Amino acid sequence: MAEPAIHTSGLSKRYADVDALSDLDLDVHQGEVVGYLGPNGSGKTTTLRLLLGLIRPTSGSAEIFGLDCQRRPVEAHRRLAYVAGEANLWPSLTGSETLHLLGRVQGQVDAAYRGELIARFDLDPSKKVRTYSKGNRQKLILIAALMARPDLLLLDEPTSGLDPLMEQAFRHSVHEAKERGQTVFLSSHILSEVEALCDRVGILRNGRLVDMGTLSDMRHLSALTVEATFDGSVPDLSRVPGVSSVEVEGRVVRCQVQGTVEPLLKVLASSGVHELLSREPSLEELFLAHYGRSTDPGTGSLEVPALGG
Amino acid sequence: MGESAIVTPAPSGRWPRTVVARETARRGVRSAVLWGVIFGVYVTESATGYEGAYKTSGQRHALAQTLGSDVGISAIIGPASHLDTVAGFVAWRTLGVLTVVGAVWGLLAATRLLRGEEDAGRWELLLAGRTTRRGGAAQALTGLAGCALVLWAITAVIAVAVGRSSSVHIDGRSALFLAVADVSGAAVFLAVGALTSQLAPTRRQAASYAGGVLGVAYALRMVADSGAGLAWLRWASPLGWVEELHPLTAPRPVALVPIVGLIAILTVLTVQLAGGRDLGASTIPDRSRPPTRTMLLSGPTGLTVRLVRPVVIGWVVAIALAGLMLGLIAKAAGRALTGSTAMRKLVSDFGAHGAGATTYLGVAFLMVALLLALIAAGQVGAARGEEAEGKLDHLLVRPVSRTSWLAGRLSVATGALVIAGAVAGVTGWLGAASQDSGIGLTNMVAAGLNLVPPAVLILGVGTLAFGIRPRAASGACYAVLAWSFLVELIGGIVNASHWLLDTSVFHQMAAAPAVAPDWTTNAVLVALGVAAAAIGGIVFRFRDLAGA
Ligand SMILES: Nc1ncnc2c1ncn2[C@@H]1O[C@H](COP(=O)(O)OP(=O)(O)O)[C@@H](O)[C@H]1O
Ligand SMILES: [Mg+2]
Repeated sequence: MAEPAIHTSGLSKRYADVDALSDLDLDVHQGEVVGYLGPNGSGKTTTLRLLLGLIRPTSGSAEIFGLDCQRRPVEAHRRLAYVAGEANLWPSLTGSETLHLLGRVQGQVDAAYRGELIARFDLDPSKKVRTYSKGNRQKLILIAALMARPDLLLLDEPTSGLDPLMEQAFRHSVHEAKERGQTVFLSSHILSEVEALCDRVGILRNGRLVDMGTLSDMRHLSALTVEATFDGSVPDLSRVPGVSSVEVEGRVVRCQVQGTVEPLLKVLASSGVHELLSREPSLEELFLAHYGRSTDPGTGSLEVPALGG
Repeated sequence: MGESAIVTPAPSGRWPRTVVARETARRGVRSAVLWGVIFGVYVTESATGYEGAYKTSGQRHALAQTLGSDVGISAIIGPASHLDTVAGFVAWRTLGVLTVVGAVWGLLAATRLLRGEEDAGRWELLLAGRTTRRGGAAQALTGLAGCALVLWAITAVIAVAVGRSSSVHIDGRSALFLAVADVSGAAVFLAVGALTSQLAPTRRQAASYAGGVLGVAYALRMVADSGAGLAWLRWASPLGWVEELHPLTAPRPVALVPIVGLIAILTVLTVQLAGGRDLGASTIPDRSRPPTRTMLLSGPTGLTVRLVRPVVIGWVVAIALAGLMLGLIAKAAGRALTGSTAMRKLVSDFGAHGAGATTYLGVAFLMVALLLALIAAGQVGAARGEEAEGKLDHLLVRPVSRTSWLAGRLSVATGALVIAGAVAGVTGWLGAASQDSGIGLTNMVAAGLNLVPPAVLILGVGTLAFGIRPRAASGACYAVLAWSFLVELIGGIVNASHWLLDTSVFHQMAAAPAVAPDWTTNAVLVALGVAAAAIGGIVFRFRDLAGA
């Protein structure tokens, strides 16, 4: 069995008065695409910077392909590439000069693929970085990371500033990486992106990993949404075992069911149901369930716009 | 998408409409205070130095005879009249030096506070719907005016205080006017820098355009004062107008009219141009598609060379010119120095002895040592900037160790210092040789290289701070530098204790070429610098990278 691409145990980072990351135990296997979800300030960037050895953990340890992130960063970095959400580059270099430099420093470049990526992301590399928009700078560091075809891609909200077309180009590139057997660790607050790309998802809340698993696992564990339309009067469903969040709108009832649906079906069958819809929760709903919608005062940092993608 | 990732709250306070003016003043005031103090100390030192060195009227006449009639001196510093009085000497010396120093300060401050802040994206936040581009520029100019006022006020307070001392005798009004004259070069070039900030696409280019204007103004003034019958050219240069103010000797406030007029015109142009362009754009188009040059871009150290090259070239040119000028005036100034026994003693306090040109250069090269130390401080600031702005991340997330990156930067900085020192020696020799001063090239190059060790020490101390307190690294360098320079200046005036003098990084430096460089001491200075840098490097290896 190959060593995991990422392995952390008890990884923690404390700043003066905040626990930016607490006790993270994480394993990402080779060839996996793992999503890392959390609203702003939940500790995603902190995790990635610890994995890169840019900051030191307060306690715990982390390894990339079995190499300690703090003690052997140079060797670990030979096998990975990183894309940050903020691309502050050298304004006096041109795009192609930047790619040349970063390729030489990385030590490996697939030149043909670089050309393909430049075309795919529609970047004009002859211009100075100073004249690039935020989106163009973001494309530049994405290309710089992807063109190295590293074993592991660490991506920290990599699509901030990209337009929807480029978001598609990005997704295409991640699929390509996965097909080639590369491992991808994608931090994001854009649920649709993670839903579309990732095999497994970790959910981070105030520096703690509160859930980790495949999307289908998570869906099984959580509630099913049921919508029923009745012919006549609407029965009271709130006392049915397993049912919660009942909303009545005329003759339509919406509710959530946890566990078995049998008790609910019995009640519905005896009440003249006319139409019945049920669906699995979307990632967004899973996510909101973890954050208790915006009712939990402890998650003041969760802003709904951050979830809109 | 939800976040634009800007967390810095735009300062609003009680008058949100004046936020740009206040921010500009706030960011500029620290350097205005520092330079106000330096200006004041320079005025003080000129007055007390003259008092101490030329006690009798005979000595004063001799000084007026030698320096007052020297064309080279007149061309480089300005015409020297009334050198037989303390007022005349102070007016000539402070005006000649502070006008140019102030002009450089003004153009750097204006381009930093206008173009630099705009490039950094802070204007977007500040303006944010509160005012127009034009209004923003007008406010920034108001902020600059505030900085100029602070510079003047501090210079004036010190000048008035010095004037009151019994031996100097300069009345309050004259001292205030002297301060006006001393800072008017700074005021003009604050306005020039504000204008070029609208024209050029980057801060560096804005500063070099303004530097070009200063060069032309200086050259015109130089020709006018070189006794070639072209004195009228003085009216073609703002630096000539400043000379025409004749503070302390024959005050001519009417010469303020063209100065104030020029500032007014530049101000109006600045506001107009600011209104006519986009935020972040320039009036003169940026060459956005330069040819690709990858020769240096194969690793972090090559990148460092590429990044610091324009700055270092600028410094080396400035140092070459400074060396050349000091060399040119060395013979005449040396004759004046040795004409006074007291001056000879003062000079020997600095560690120089002998006679003539070498003595003068031995003392004057302290100025060049300061320039080299400024290069070192700037390099520490640049390294820290790479970290603070997150550019370093792009290298360190790749197979580059922190140690090799830092070692590369320090080697490049040291190389720049050695080149600058050697260039100062060579151009100093060129200037001196052209006047038949009889100083050998080897001696002058050695004197130039002798300036490197204190700068290496600054580099080391800065690197230590960079490791331990990264956000204070740049400040620590400038603090050590300013302190050392003050100690040197004041130490020459009062009989300072050895303990005090030893806190100056320049104090152990031999006053070459007046005396032979002390290579043992220099080796110790370098070793201290290397040790400090090594400790800083080790701490840096194990700390968190720290953003701005
Ligand atoms: N250098 C730092 N100093 C102090 N607090 C920090 C620092 N970096 C991050 N934090 C805090 O740690 C928490 C996690 O931040 P971060 O990892 O950047 O979150 P995310 O990337 O998920 O938005 C936040 O509360 C943030 O304010
Ligand atoms: Mg983040």
